[in-house]
Amino acid sequence: MRARDNPFATARVHRIRYRFLDGLTWEDLLARLKWMRWRGAIVGPEGAGKTTLLEDFEPRLREQGFEIVWLRLTRERPRFAPEMWRKLSSELFSGRFVLFDGAEQLSRWAWWRFLRHVRPAGGLLITSHRAGLLPTLLECGTTSVLLAEIVADLLDEPAAAHRAQARHLHQRHCGNVREALRELYDLWSEHVTSARRSKELRLRQSLLRRQLKDEGPVCDLLPLRPWPL
Amino acid sequence: MSELKILLRDEQRNFRGGDTVEGVAGWRLEKPPTSVEARLFWFTRGKGTEDVGLVNQVRFDAPQQEEGRKFSFRLPTEPWSFSGQLVSLIWALELVAEPGGDTARVELIVSPTGQEILLHRHASA
Repeated sequence: MRARDNPFATARVHRIRYRFLDGLTWEDLLARLKWMRWRGAIVGPEGAGKTTLLEDFEPRLREQGFEIVWLRLTRERPRFAPEMWRKLSSELFSGRFVLFDGAEQLSRWAWWRFLRHVRPAGGLLITSHRAGLLPTLLECGTTSVLLAEIVADLLDEPAAAHRAQARHLHQRHCGNVREALRELYDLWSEHVTSARRSKELRLRQSLLRRQLKDEGPVCDLLPLRPWPL
Repeated sequence: MSELKILLRDEQRNFRGGDTVEGVAGWRLEKPPTSVEARLFWFTRGKGTEDVGLVNQVRFDAPQQEEGRKFSFRLPTEPWSFSGQLVSLIWALELVAEPGGDTARVELIVSPTGQEILLHRHASA
């Protein structure tokens, strides 16, 4: 199967937006964040949707009149460059809202330094694997039902058809939906490729059977090279 | 509702490196545009992080709310359009109107043969 056709390709998965599990609404969440004086943390394990939720905040905070400043740290890039620290000091004011993905990457000392630098900003929302950096706005979690719904959306099929597989995958990846979807990418790719191989093998066998029965020349119909098994 | 369209000459989608892709970009917008651009680029799609490379762009002068403009891009010889099981490289033309960010996109094939290179077919041959 071509990567571009795989329903679990990264681009398609990224189109799936955050879903609240417990009846929470965006109005509730924004009201809660405002009550927290626009400073809070989205907390949860890897693959629980923290980054997706943070991205979904961007248009809603713009509607509130904020300019958005994005900051991102990862395991591969766990520190801010020196010029970033300078920019933070000079460019933040009350009209700017900082969305910071991966705050757990900062050391305790760097975190306190960061808080000093972003004090002038009108708001700060972070994602973190652990609670305690800022008051928790929302704790992200996943369920196998949620995974089944996401899979169903990607395949454009009813969720019920995927519940059993989703339960198994969700358990195996300890609730990490991102990793579960990555495994599905591989499974889908292998499944379709082997299905195509089986189909070509069946075709080849039927052609050979025809040849054996001397039903006429079939060489022109055979693939140019033998199909590797 | 805004409408944007890219019409390619002879509806051609398959090209060889060095070919010229020509067509007409048309739009009917809800608001008068501040800018309308045609962009030629490639991007990857698959399991990992996506890459994108902007190759050329044309900004149409003084765009009206409703009109069509001719465009022409000379294609580079690489990268080729290809697909494996892990990643595909896809060429595309995109029309973007601001404000609003309305877009239209058509995908192209660019390779020495004018066909998408299928890596898994080559690997298993």
